[in-house]
Amino acid sequence: MDIAVLVKGVPDFSEGSVEFHEDNTLDRGSTETVLNPNDHFALECARELKVKHGATIHVVTMGPPNYKEVLHEAAEFAGDEFYLLSDGKFAGADTWATAHALHAGLNEIGDLDLVIAGFKTADGETGHTGPQTSLMLDWPIITHCVEVNVQPEAETIGARRQLYGEAEHCEGPLPCFIVMDPDYEPSFHTASQRLRLKDILAEQAEIVEAEDFGEHVHTWGLEDLPVDEHVVGLRGSPTIVSGVDPIPQPPAERDAEEFGTSEEELREVAKLLVEKGGL
Amino acid sequence: MDYDVYEATQDASVGDMWVFCESRDGQLRDVSLEMLGKARRMMDDYNEEYDADENVVALVLGQDARGLAGECVQHGADVVYVAEDEQLVPFRLLPYTTVVANAALMRDEYKDYDKPRYFLFPATHNGRDLSATVAGKLDTGLASDCDDLYIEDAEIKHPFKTEGEETVFERTLHMVRPDFSGFEHSTILCLDNPHRDFHPQSASVIPGSFPVPEPDRDRLQEGRILQLPVKFREGDLDVTVTEREHLDDGVDLTDDERVVAVGRGIGEDPTEGLELGLELSDALGSGFGLSRGVITASYNVDGNVESYVAEERQIGETGQIVEPDVYIAAGISGAVQHKTGMDESEFICSINTDPEAPIKDFSNVYIHGDLFEVVPRLIDEIERIREGDE
Ligand SMILES: Cc1cc2nc3c(=O)[nH]c(=O)nc-3n(C[C@H](O)[C@H](O)[C@H](O)COP(=O)(O)OP(=O)(O)OC[C@H]3O[C@@H](n4cnc5c(N)ncnc54)[C@H](O)[C@@H]3O)c2cc1C
Ligand SMILES: Nc1ncnc2c1ncn2[C@@H]1O[C@H](COP(=O)(O)O)[C@@H](O)[C@H]1O
Repeated sequence: MDIAVLVKGVPDFSEGSVEFHEDNTLDRGSTETVLNPNDHFALECARELKVKHGATIHVVTMGPPNYKEVLHEAAEFAGDEFYLLSDGKFAGADTWATAHALHAGLNEIGDLDLVIAGFKTADGETGHTGPQTSLMLDWPIITHCVEVNVQPEAETIGARRQLYGEAEHCEGPLPCFIVMDPDYEPSFHTASQRLRLKDILAEQAEIVEAEDFGEHVHTWGLEDLPVDEHVVGLRGSPTIVSGVDPIPQPPAERDAEEFGTSEEELREVAKLLVEKGGL
Repeated sequence: MDYDVYEATQDASVGDMWVFCESRDGQLRDVSLEMLGKARRMMDDYNEEYDADENVVALVLGQDARGLAGECVQHGADVVYVAEDEQLVPFRLLPYTTVVANAALMRDEYKDYDKPRYFLFPATHNGRDLSATVAGKLDTGLASDCDDLYIEDAEIKHPFKTEGEETVFERTLHMVRPDFSGFEHSTILCLDNPHRDFHPQSASVIPGSFPVPEPDRDRLQEGRILQLPVKFREGDLDVTVTEREHLDDGVDLTDDERVVAVGRGIGEDPTEGLELGLELSDALGSGFGLSRGVITASYNVDGNVESYVAEERQIGETGQIVEPDVYIAAGISGAVQHKTGMDESEFICSINTDPEAPIKDFSNVYIHGDLFEVVPRLIDEIERIREGDE
């Protein structure tokens, strides 16, 4: 089975504040980039399927050259081959233009049985890229997956989805596009699966530590991909960010009484809490 | 126009504001009515400003769609397109995408333009997915999770859209969404390129952003209800729903009289931070909640408290809305999305190292201090008082 996983780098929100350029696009340069937390689930799902059925995992990202680090981080979870779609002409893409580039990259890899995306990125937070990429592939799609089973011989997939406080079970054919829900957890039922997982994690550790990790990374630019420059990057994006404004803080609604941390002060707060809490 | 390929169009004629009205089990969701009310107000202003006569068009698909049309009219729609088909129950992404995209591109006795001018979707599980695929099918752009919208001319300079020249885009839907930290708003515009139209300008709307309008029965005389053609593409029906089950509602904090919540202030030692929060919650016999910051931080926490880091405990706009007698926010900055979920609480106590944190502005009591130091001592004091009482 060949599985592609779409991953993205996002600013590390724990590292100080996010910076913007004058034109209101994100200044990625001054914020450290990490693997999008939601994409961990996509990688873990690919790994679960590799444990259970055997698979080659292709990890794909579109972004600036330093996204190689993102692929490296992804390798800790899963991945046999890595693809960096990188070109000045891909830059500044919204989700629709991103989907065009990713679609071209997936076509170039070819012969995939499954593509897995994360739910949302920590910076864009749209959740559009997965469904839009799937639309271009013209594949069936199952979103909000918390459990995924495939039957490679029968070429079918089953998934449990979670939404609106309900669970839904879906069946569909392969190839298929799936989007993971953050509540996904891998499950391994047999001792042999757990052993296999251990082996695969050891293999991943070797890939991560290998001096030649770079050789696992295929870097493709616009010229290398079957896609027109009119549909990618800033040029291909329908949307622009026209402004970023601080959300005005409304005037104080309550006049907070301020307390320090002396014993008397904390005792007073404790009293208030007990009293107001009706205890 | 062939909807089957999302081919670039040029000089398409556009009109109206369309609203995808989501229903579930034969009932319109509140967000659908909220969007209709907002669409009504925007199009009333639009018609006046631009001396136009464009409508609010609602789409209702699935179970009992026809029966819901009147409600759409009463809440602001001029025209309601309905589609009932057994394949449309329950919601499935591709069949819905085809029917909606088809509707947007067809012409019929009412619709005499190529594409809708604007299109609103709910930012819910299904609504968000659908907004992405429908916009894709129509080769246009969209903004997700908006909490404000307005129509105005936009003066823009852009390397591709305006080839570097200052240009006015008339009648532009300004789509405003909270971003990143929750302290910034981005305004997203969807603008045509020189040789590529990007319509409808589309947005998904966060539930609760706008009020549900008062239903107006008088509107029923004017409203038009029309049937949508239902046709699927090959492959649309490949994914089937074989089972649906109701899950336990999980953690419900909405009825708790007291709630303790922790935020990213626990970052230095998330395990200990969670333990302290839980102990405080024990001392007060309260529910235990989290800011979204804790959920998205991907902390490594020890097994004993791991299960507490779950979306079901999130308080705020996209989590639970609570209004207990006492709300304690430890290490929570008070982003607007968090505030929405708790500021109706009777008595709010915040603990924060930063005296500038916005949460202070809606607290009754603010403790300026480090939660790791304050919380254990507060627990002692509370226990002492409560034991003294007994
Ligand atoms: C579409 C959308 C929907 C959202 N929905 C929600 C939602 O429903 N609920 C929600 O909560 N958020 C939501 N958010 C996220 C929200 O914008 C904020 O990012 C989030 O609430 C921040 O969480 P926080 O206050 O824990 O973290 P931060 O903003 O990082 O604040 C941490 C606070 O802890 C303080 N602190 C640090 N160390 C200590 C210490 N040792 N002791 C005491 N204080 C300390 C800091 O001074 C700071 O004020 C949403 C965002 C978006 C874009
Ligand atoms: N530049 C990108 N490269 C690869 N995958 C991406 C990219 N942007 C988004 N994705 C995928 O799409 C998902 C949703 O992203 P978004 O639509 O930005 O919220 C992510 O979790 C990734 O799986």
